[in-house]
Amino acid sequence: MDRLLRQLSQLAITVFGIVTVTFFLVRMIPGDPAQYMLGDYATEEALATLRAQLGLDQPVYVQYGLYVLRAVTGDFGSSVVTGRPALEEILFSLPDSAILAFAGLAVAVVIGIPLGILTAERQGSWSDMLIMIVALFGISFPVFWLGLASVLLFSQELKWFPALGASSGGGFLTHLHHLVLPAGVLGISVAAYITRLTRSAMLEVLGQDCIRVARAMGVPERRVVWRLALKNALVPILAIVGVTFAWSLGSAILIEVVFSRPGIGSMILKAVSARDYQLVQAGVLVLAVAVVLVNSLLDLAYGLVDPRLSTR
Amino acid sequence: MDGINRKERAGRIERSGVNRRQFGTLLAAGALVAGSGWPLPASAAPPVLRVRIGSDIGNLDPARIFQIENQTVATQIFNGLVKYDEASNAIVPDLATGWDISGDGTVYSFALRSGVTWHKGFGPFTSDDVKFSFERVLDPQTGSSYSGQLASIKSIETPSPDKVVITLKEPNSGFLHKVSAFNQGWIVSRKALGEIGDKAFALNPIGTGPFVFQNWAPGREVKLSANKDYFAGAPKVEEVQFRVIKDETAAAIALENGEIDILFGLQQPEVIQRLKGGGLVTVLDRDANHTINLVLNTSIKPLGDLRVRQAIYHAINRKALIDGFFKGTKSEASGFLTPAFQEFTDKVPLFPYDPAKARALLKEAGVGSFSLDLVAPGANPYDKIVVPIASDLAAVGIDAKIKVLERGAYLQARNKGTVPTCITGVVGAPDPDSPILSLFAKSSFPPGLNTAHYEGVEDLIAAARQAQGDDARKEVYGKIQAKVMGDVPVIPLYADHLFIAHTKKVSGFVQNSLFTMSAYPVSLLEA
Repeated sequence: MDRLLRQLSQLAITVFGIVTVTFFLVRMIPGDPAQYMLGDYATEEALATLRAQLGLDQPVYVQYGLYVLRAVTGDFGSSVVTGRPALEEILFSLPDSAILAFAGLAVAVVIGIPLGILTAERQGSWSDMLIMIVALFGISFPVFWLGLASVLLFSQELKWFPALGASSGGGFLTHLHHLVLPAGVLGISVAAYITRLTRSAMLEVLGQDCIRVARAMGVPERRVVWRLALKNALVPILAIVGVTFAWSLGSAILIEVVFSRPGIGSMILKAVSARDYQLVQAGVLVLAVAVVLVNSLLDLAYGLVDPRLSTR
Repeated sequence: MDGINRKERAGRIERSGVNRRQFGTLLAAGALVAGSGWPLPASAAPPVLRVRIGSDIGNLDPARIFQIENQTVATQIFNGLVKYDEASNAIVPDLATGWDISGDGTVYSFALRSGVTWHKGFGPFTSDDVKFSFERVLDPQTGSSYSGQLASIKSIETPSPDKVVITLKEPNSGFLHKVSAFNQGWIVSRKALGEIGDKAFALNPIGTGPFVFQNWAPGREVKLSANKDYFAGAPKVEEVQFRVIKDETAAAIALENGEIDILFGLQQPEVIQRLKGGGLVTVLDRDANHTINLVLNTSIKPLGDLRVRQAIYHAINRKALIDGFFKGTKSEASGFLTPAFQEFTDKVPLFPYDPAKARALLKEAGVGSFSLDLVAPGANPYDKIVVPIASDLAAVGIDAKIKVLERGAYLQARNKGTVPTCITGVVGAPDPDSPILSLFAKSSFPPGLNTAHYEGVEDLIAAARQAQGDDARKEVYGKIQAKVMGDVPVIPLYADHLFIAHTKKVSGFVQNSLFTMSAYPVSLLEA
C-alpha cells in the first residue's frame, strides 16, 4: 500500500513537473496563436479580441496560475484552433497512438529478445557479428527513412500494403492491413535497441557463478540459457522495454507523419506549429502519464519476475 | 473454446489435408487479402470520392475561415449569392438568380432562389439569412478577419424572403467579388447558428451546398454526404471523404494505388513530374490567383531609393529559379497579378535579369556593399528559394543574409512591419482588390501585409472603386499595376501554378483557380 502511494505521488510530481516545463517552453517560442488562427487578413481589433478571449493578454505567470487552478478541476482548456476541449481532442487520438506504440513494441519484443538471446549464446560467432551489424544499421537509420523506404518498396513496387497507415472505415482486418507497415517499421527500429541491450543483459547473467555451477552440473545448455539465464536477465530486459516504450512514442511521431496516421504525436506537432498552447499541454500531459504509468506497471512486473524485488 | 470443439476443428483440418501450420499461413494470407479490401465489387460500395488534403481542418465558419483545407471543405457545404465560374472565373448566379445595380453603383438588389433548404432540417433559406450572414461578419463581436472586405456595406434590407437589397456607403465596382461564394461570401443559417452556437458551428457547419457535413475525425478525415435536395440537382457521388495525408510522396503512391481518387494541393516539382511521367493518373494544372513576391521595405535605407530596388529586381534571375528550382512548374510573372484575373495586364515596366545593370544602378545610387536580410517563412518552397536569390544578390555586391523563421514567428515579425524584406503571396479569390489592398494600401500599413510601407496608389485605389463597367475597371487596375511595378515595392518572383491529380476513375472534374476544388460535378467511373 505504502509502495503504491509512493508511486502515485511520484507519478503526480513527475507529471506536474513535465507539464510546468512544457508550459513555459511553449510560451518561449515566438509567434502568436491569434495571428495563426485568424490568418493574413486579421485586423488588429480582431486579434486583440481573440487574444483577450484566450487569456493571452495576461502576463505569463497569471496564465500559468489560471492554468494550474483549472487543471486541478480537470479543465485543461480548449484548443485554440478548433475550440473543442483540448483533453478530449487528445484522448480522441490516444487509441491510434496506443495501437501503434503497442503493435510496434510487440514486433520489437518478438524480434529483439530472441535475437538478443541468440547472439549472447553465440557470442563471437559469425551469426552474432551479423546480427549485431544489422542491429547497428537498425539503430543508425532514421525511422522516417525506413518508413519512406518501406512505402516505396511494399506499397509502390510490390503493392502488398497500402501507402497510408490508417484506413477509413472497413473492418478489423482492413485496419490490421494498414497497420502492418507502420508497426513493422517502428518495431524494427526499436528491435535493434532491444536486441543489443538484451544481449548485454544476457551476457552479464551468463557470466555469473550460478550459471557456471549449472553448466558444471551438466544441465543442458538450452535449459541454462532459456530458463536460468533468461529468468535472471528478465528484470533488466523489462527495464529496457519500459525505456523503449517511451522512445517508441517519440518515434511514433515520425511514423505518424510518414504514414499519415492520426495520433497524439502528429497532433502535438500540429499544435506546436499553430501555437495551440492548450493542445500541446494536454498532449504532453497524456504522453507523460502514459510513460510513467507503463513504467510503474513494469515496476510491479519486476516483482512478479523476481520476488526479491517486491519485498524491497 | 472447449476441448471437444478444438478437437473437432483439428480433425476437420486434418481431413482436409491442411496441417496446423499451413492453416495459420492460410489464415494470415486470407487476412491480408480480405484486409486489402481489394478487389471490391464495383456495385457493393456506394460511390465514395476520396480526396487528399495536406493538413487537417480546424474551422469551417465562413466568418473566421482561412487556409485552403478549410476552404476546400467549406466549398462543398456553403453557397454565396454569386460564385466564380470554375472554368472562366466569371461571376455567375449562385443563391441569387439575378441582380440589379443602381445607376450610381451604390444599391445592389439580388433576386434569390426559392425552394432552397438548409441542411439537416434547418428550414428554408431566406433573405434574412443573407442579412444575418453579412451583419455577423461586420459585427466586431464576431472577430471576423473579413469585416474589412464588407466594410463598404451601409445597410441590408429584406423586402421579401426572396429579395435582398444591399446599400453601399459609396460605389464599389468590385462588390460582387465580396459576396461571391468564398470566405465572407458564404451564407450561413441564422436558425442553425442560433441553435448550435458559434463555437460548435465551426465544426458542425450547416449550409445549402451540394454536400452535407457528416463528421470530422481529427487528424484522419472529414466526411460529407450528398445533399439529395440540392437546388441544382443531387451530386453524382454519395459521399466525399477528405483524408489528411501530409506527406506528398505517400499521397502520390496512394493515388497511383487507387487508395484515394483526387490528390489535392500538389506542390513538389519532383512528385508532379513523377505523376506526369507515370501515366497512371491525370495531372491537371492551371494558373493560380496569386504571385509569390519579395516585398521590399521602402521605409528603410537603402531600400528607400528606387534605384536600389530596381537593382535588386535586375539582379534576381527569376527564369533560372522557375526552370531550375521549380522545374518549370511555376510561371514567370510580370506583375503581382496573374493572368487568372480579368483585370490583368502585362503592360507594366519590366526589369529583366541583368546583373551588370544592377551593379550600375547601385553605383548610380551611391550605395556601396550593404547587407540585407531575406526573411522567409520556414515552409517549402519559401525557405529554399531564398538561397538562389541570396546568391544572385551576392553576385552584384549585396550581402544577403537568409533568415528563415518558423511560420508563427514569421507571421509575428511580418505583422510588426519591421522586416526589411519578406516573401509574401496573397492567396484568395480573383478579386484584384484583395492583393492590392493587402499589399499596397496605406490602410494595410503594419500591422498588415503592406510591409513595403508603400502608399503610391491611394488615389488609384479610390478611382478603381468608382469605376463602373468592366472596361473602366480594367483601365484603372491597369494603371495601378503599371504604377506599382514601376515603383518596385515588391518583386514578383513567380506566378503560382496549381496542380491537382486524379485517377482515371474520376470524371467531370473542373479545376478552378481558387486553390480549392468542387466535388459537385465529379462522378466516378467503374474501374
